[in-house]
Amino acid sequence: MSTLKSFLRHPTGMIGLFVLLAVVILAVSAPWLFPDDPWDMVGAPFQPPLSEGLWLGSDMLGRDVAAGIAHGARISLIIGVISTLTSLIIGVTIGATAGYFGGKVDEVMMRITELFQTIPGFILAILLVATLGPKISNVIFAIGIVSWPPLARLTRAEFMRLRGREFVQAAVCQGQRPLTVVLRRILPNAISPIIVTGSLAVASAILIESALSFMGLGDPNLMSWGFMIGAARTVIRQAWWMSVFPGLAILLTVLAINLVGEGLNDTLNPRISRKR
Amino acid sequence: MTDKTLLAIENVSISLPPGADRPFAIEGVSLTVNRNEIVCLVGESGSGKSMTAHAILRLLPDRTGVAQGSISFNGNDIAKADEPTMRKLRGGAISMIFQEPLSALNPLARVGQQIAESIITHTKPAPSREAVDARVQELIRGVGLPDPVALARSFPFQLSGGQRQRIMIAMAMANNPALLLADEPTTALDVTTQKQILALVKKLQAERGMGVLLITHDFGVVADVADRVVVMRNGRVVEQGTVDEVLRNPKDDYTKSLIAAVPGARSLTRTDRKITGEPLLDAVGLNKTFITKQGMFLPPRRTDAVQNISLGLKARETVAIVGESGSGKSTLGRLIMRLIEPDTGSVHFGGKDLLSQRGERLRQMRRKIQIVFQDPFAALDPRQKVGDAIAGGPIAYGTPAKEAMADAKRLLARVGLQESAASRYPHEFSGGQRQRICIARALALKPSVLVADEAVSALDVSVQAQVLQLLAELREEMNLAMIFITHDLRVAAEIADRIVVMRRGEIVEQGETQMIFQNPSDAYTRALLDAIPGRAMFAGPGARQAEAASA
Repeated sequence: MSTLKSFLRHPTGMIGLFVLLAVVILAVSAPWLFPDDPWDMVGAPFQPPLSEGLWLGSDMLGRDVAAGIAHGARISLIIGVISTLTSLIIGVTIGATAGYFGGKVDEVMMRITELFQTIPGFILAILLVATLGPKISNVIFAIGIVSWPPLARLTRAEFMRLRGREFVQAAVCQGQRPLTVVLRRILPNAISPIIVTGSLAVASAILIESALSFMGLGDPNLMSWGFMIGAARTVIRQAWWMSVFPGLAILLTVLAINLVGEGLNDTLNPRISRKR
Repeated sequence: MTDKTLLAIENVSISLPPGADRPFAIEGVSLTVNRNEIVCLVGESGSGKSMTAHAILRLLPDRTGVAQGSISFNGNDIAKADEPTMRKLRGGAISMIFQEPLSALNPLARVGQQIAESIITHTKPAPSREAVDARVQELIRGVGLPDPVALARSFPFQLSGGQRQRIMIAMAMANNPALLLADEPTTALDVTTQKQILALVKKLQAERGMGVLLITHDFGVVADVADRVVVMRNGRVVEQGTVDEVLRNPKDDYTKSLIAAVPGARSLTRTDRKITGEPLLDAVGLNKTFITKQGMFLPPRRTDAVQNISLGLKARETVAIVGESGSGKSTLGRLIMRLIEPDTGSVHFGGKDLLSQRGERLRQMRRKIQIVFQDPFAALDPRQKVGDAIAGGPIAYGTPAKEAMADAKRLLARVGLQESAASRYPHEFSGGQRQRICIARALALKPSVLVADEAVSALDVSVQAQVLQLLAELREEMNLAMIFITHDLRVAAEIADRIVVMRRGEIVEQGETQMIFQNPSDAYTRALLDAIPGRAMFAGPGARQAEAASA
């Protein structure tokens, strides 16, 4: 409860939360705001913003840019959240195992982690989507695969720190089973920095998805911000609005998530939050 | 005010932020420190003694401040002095040493550099580098450390606790202070180091004619060094006077209880506890060597923590393992708990080999041997309710949750807490209460052996006495055998049937408690006995009888 209270008093965190909520509301209400398929031609092509019925103009095929942004918000958020959950599951499991058992197990786990860290993440993501096919599930999988190593490293460090603590040893002496010790004693005490890093990972997942779509590797049936920018890049000098508005959408969402993450960091970190 | 008076605190109150447990941290406190004397400020945690000292240098936490009263130093009121004046005083004419020398030193700077810093800050114009270096080495030599040149170049983590505290003292002496504030300077150290540090403070004080305000919770320390004593409780001064008046003839009840709490102050009425039979726990030939890698090109460092130790513990017996830090006593405790695996040796428990047990069989053995750790703040999960912590053990062995929780509440009541404590979190309790919770947690499994690893060392002397009393009662009620690990012989004398003295991983002497005190055969045991603070005043059980005989 006190964490919630001090977050509510965190100014930039609250700004981020409001912007993020606005994006979520936009995403949820997209089917009612723009009932038509965002891929449909609804007007003349190359209409500038504030034309009749088209606040943000239309693209080169006469599709509504505003509708694209609203529907794209759904895709961006879904991909951001689910791929982060995927990477959390992989990263926390590997980090926790390595940190708790140490020794040989740790060695093996960390070499695997390093293997993934040495491969440039975005190139691996491109490779995965290109081989598996541009479907939303594959995009999520690819983003999850490239973004778990930092989470594993962090979890491992937290577990190594907590494993030697006396209350954990006391739980072992009490006869609690290793799984109980890990899930009930260590994980709750390690979770704060993991939540913070996870929230920032959502932002980077949205960026990777946009970049993949920009390169034409997004799901072709789903309108996304990255795809809009990618499609409009050839006409940016004639029709700036086609790429600027989706770009702004990405900027605002990622910024908002980062602000929320930072706010969480300040409030969950007892040393900083106690100062207020 | 006379010429002799160095520091005079008059009627000072410090306000606490709204919402604290009381409106003032200290209220109407008056005390003086003269030149060339040591004044001890005594009280338990929360009595406001540290706040008083911090107020002198205005090092108070945010949102607290001196609400009224005056603090005069050398005749000038410094309670309302401006920040530049205060900055000049801090580390200049008034310096301070703290309880925990590891956190008081910068971990990333060489200690020589840190001492030099305090010289350079306070000397205008800045002295030459050679002059500073020479002064640093003189200071390090002055606090009794060997090889000042090499020592100045080391980092805090390379030094022992006692060496670090000496460095802190050297730093405090850098500008020849007129007043030294020492905030529990020896509480984090073991008894032998404590004795050396107190002797050093006393020697420096006499050489320089300094005034010293020494904060402590231990009347043993007071008896050793103080000229005058000020006793505080709940933010107020309850009694003050010369050390002889207060110690021999205390007027206030609280002072009396503090003096009575000093371990070893009570005469030893030891009844024969009739301990016979085969050892319940039998450790033979235990060895453990720690090897730390030091980097790519350096040879790994070997520490022989435990060397060829054999130890038997009979049912209901209490064995104290005594030694200074680094003697391997805690490692031995952890080996028996199987929190660390020994290199060689065997531990038999109730006839079964403890070390060959694995998995589920080991888990079943664990419930019979329980441990209480030193630091009650680290030993409880901050996110777990007290009741769940205690009931967790029995539940892990299949006791129904409801029954385990009822047991936990009964145990809480038994260790002197309220049953409602079960639904609260550890941070709501004081150190002594937390240690009671840890004891309840260990006993919830109805063990036959309890390992108490420095279980009372982090507690105030008065709380220490209560917890020891509790342990003594519980071991009779539950037929507990105890391994009591401590650095303090006074504490060992209070509870142990037998004492084992360890040094550098080896047992140097063992025997009945009475025998160790009256007739120590090893030089190291004698050094430990000599290091007991306030030994002249609060003699150990042996000495008291000797005194009676000579009278």
